[in-house]
Amino acid sequence: MTPPAPRHPARAWLIAAAVLGVALLLAACAGHEWSSPQALYRALAGDDSLCSRLLLQWRLPRVFAAALVGALLGLSGAVFQGVFRNPLAEPYLLGASGGAALGATVALLVPLGVPQSYSLPVLAFAGAWGATALVLGVSRVAGALDAAGMLLAGVAIAAMLGALRSFLMLALSDETVSLQVVMSWVLGGIQTPSWPGLGLLAALCVACLLATSRIAHGLDLLGLGTRAAQGFGLDVARFTPVAVIVGSLVVAAAVAYGGLVAFVGLAAPHIARWMVGPLHRALLPASALTGAIVVTVADAIARSALPPAEIPLGLVTAVAGGPFFIVLLARRLRS
Amino acid sequence: MNLLLEAQHLGVSRRHKSILRDVSIGFGATGSVAVIGPNGAGKSTLLALLAGLETPAQGEVRLGARRVVDVPAAERAQAIGFMPQHFEPHWDLVLEELLGMRLTPPRGKAPAQWPTVDEVIARNQLQAFRGRRWSTLSGGEQARVLLATVLATDPPILLADEPGAALDVRHRLTLVEALAQRGRTRLVIVAMHDLDLAFRHFERIVVVADGRIAIDGGEELIHAALLDESFGVVFDRIGVPPGVMLRARLRRQAGP
Repeated sequence: MTPPAPRHPARAWLIAAAVLGVALLLAACAGHEWSSPQALYRALAGDDSLCSRLLLQWRLPRVFAAALVGALLGLSGAVFQGVFRNPLAEPYLLGASGGAALGATVALLVPLGVPQSYSLPVLAFAGAWGATALVLGVSRVAGALDAAGMLLAGVAIAAMLGALRSFLMLALSDETVSLQVVMSWVLGGIQTPSWPGLGLLAALCVACLLATSRIAHGLDLLGLGTRAAQGFGLDVARFTPVAVIVGSLVVAAAVAYGGLVAFVGLAAPHIARWMVGPLHRALLPASALTGAIVVTVADAIARSALPPAEIPLGLVTAVAGGPFFIVLLARRLRS
Repeated sequence: MNLLLEAQHLGVSRRHKSILRDVSIGFGATGSVAVIGPNGAGKSTLLALLAGLETPAQGEVRLGARRVVDVPAAERAQAIGFMPQHFEPHWDLVLEELLGMRLTPPRGKAPAQWPTVDEVIARNQLQAFRGRRWSTLSGGEQARVLLATVLATDPPILLADEPGAALDVRHRLTLVEALAQRGRTRLVIVAMHDLDLAFRHFERIVVVADGRIAIDGGEELIHAALLDESFGVVFDRIGVPPGVMLRARLRRQAGP
């Protein structure tokens, strides 16, 4: 899977950080109308023209939001691959994203008598956690803890959750919540946040990074196999549910801000593993960084490919990530 | 004798089939013990129970004064090294990463007496494998690396579940000798299939058959008739001075 060359983590981190910088710059220039880096500089320097204000109020927050959502997606993928010990595991494929989306749809469309700003994150988390626990439970009961069995259980559950969500959308949307708003979000789309909103998202990202760093060593041990992990001192029965909860939190955050974005959670950890090796202390932040790069670029494409319209981000990542998944699957089946 | 590890009246069944029935056995602080028996006799289950990795339906395993399942996992890992039957890391680790995992307790700091990764590599002469990935090691190298990793923290007890099963003759012999050697100063319990190796190298032989301990004793057991019965074969005992070797024959069925 991984190339036999020795790893150079320090160099890899530097390169990845530089790539992210370039990606952010390019994404800030991209849009229905291309801006020059000079225009960006003028906007940041406090220029008061309409163009500068648009850049500052709309484009830049969106670019950063895309990077942060990408970081959450990459991180969630790394946690899922670690918990399920399956390089093909991904929150989108295993139904966790679908669960979060169902929870969020309920919060958006069903009048619950609770402010949406509370109900949406809570229900998104409940959905992500419920779906993940269900996949884990089903594959355990069926005795299919291998990669393929678990993926099939996940795909089945994701399909059911998706159908349920579509039904809710058709049955409950009205003039107050237009179907199109929900639809564009479900297909994967990053809303442009205000700067304080962006600050909240950034804080959430930091919290997720800290939370996942607490389970990094446990994920390492889990990768040795259950028996060996126990022998090395990990209480597997206690650790796994905790890790699932942490992973679901990250998925819920990613879905709440970015909708259903496929395959980033799959690809980012693979690229990160190739960069910094399989130990989660480095792999988790590296996956977040890789995810940020991927989504920054994908979102720039989504915004600028078909002006003045915007293509859903989820379509861009699916078109690019699908072949990646197929290659991984083929390799795995062959070995 | 003061027992370090003790099983009392262990019983386990799975899917209405009993795996172990009323197994009681004790182990002192030192000694090399080979656990032998036919497939499905309950050797692996017995080892997992002794290691505290499974909870028995009946009876209990005591580690010193406590029930082994009550000992927190991290502390248990310091007292008992466990070599699983199958060890296939899901990620392609290099030796240093693997050793680092063993030498980092899940919580808190490593005890001061634990060696560093470099010390373990030097002590076991593993320098050549330092940057190698697990998948590039041969079976014999993997066994050597795994043993060194499990023993890195020098646990008082080592439980190994058929560690040499997939190895060629020379590597299996090397491994078995290393394990038996360790039994002089620590407790080593090894489940294995190779009877001649077991009788030649281990001080104590425990034969598990049909969920019970059929025989428990020293190398003189090689002559016990119960041995043949436990394995369901007839053994020819061939004198190879100074010892005896076993050659198995299938039992003749009586009648047509």
